[in-house]
Amino acid sequence: MINHWTFRCEDVSEMISRSMDEKMPLRIRMGIRFHLMMCSLCRNYKKQLWIIHRAVEKLDRMENFYDKPMRLPDQVREKLKDLFKDHE
Amino acid sequence: MIICQHGPSYYHFEIIYMPADEASTLSPPTTWVDTYGDYLYGFAFYRVQDEELARELVQETLMAALKAKDSFAGRGSEKTWLTGILKHKIIDSLRRKYRDAMFEDQDLDERKIHDSFDHNGRWKTGPAQWASNPEHLLEQKAFLDIIRKCLHELPERSAHALSLRELEGESTQTICKVLNVTATNCWVILHRARFLMRECIETNWLQ
Repeated sequence: MINHWTFRCEDVSEMISRSMDEKMPLRIRMGIRFHLMMCSLCRNYKKQLWIIHRAVEKLDRMENFYDKPMRLPDQVREKLKDLFKDHE
Repeated sequence: MIICQHGPSYYHFEIIYMPADEASTLSPPTTWVDTYGDYLYGFAFYRVQDEELARELVQETLMAALKAKDSFAGRGSEKTWLTGILKHKIIDSLRRKYRDAMFEDQDLDERKIHDSFDHNGRWKTGPAQWASNPEHLLEQKAFLDIIRKCLHELPERSAHALSLRELEGESTQTICKVLNVTATNCWVILHRARFLMRECIETNWLQ
């Protein structure tokens, strides 16, 4: 029985990720929580995944984020403009 | 409480019966490329991490918009409308891309993750604390630049899985279908994507 409460970090890292995508069974959630109480490295890991999630989302919502970094190549612009002319 | 109960139906009402004078109209299609081209390109690139595919998607989106311009209902802005079309195009193109693609790049990266742990499954060198205040970290441009860089360095399918999940909030069921993988492999891909992301960030951020 003791195994239920002594998850390995390798497995916990996978479970933490999976718990971000679906609700895990209570037994697993308790096991993760118990492991995290004792393991500061896995606590860091969990925080890091949360930060990544927030950062990826934040970039997406940043004003002008998509306008600045990339310019659609002129070749593509001209091609599209040509195509659009025919439709006017 | 009453407001809460009726909230959704009022909302629905508003969308359907929006007065005509509040509806926006489309600008001439010939101006779309200059007005929205870079935006759509950047938006697509952030999700597919492939310049060529992103360019194709911009073209497909604008062509589809041109065909559908008479059905633009004037709800929301032109930009939102185009972005909506692009989102559909992204999912479609990923679905096409992976329809015939075998899932074979798994083993190599699995090993890489496995190597981060000792034979007892404990971290060899554990994840560090990146900041005492995570909110502060999210304000730093240098950190956000690393996020972008690391996203780009992910294996293709991992990057696509992550963007569908974290940006579009798609369910794992949908992601499995789009990426043409089993449910188990879907979780593995997402786990691997996050694991590699955090490794890349840690290497770049703490050096």
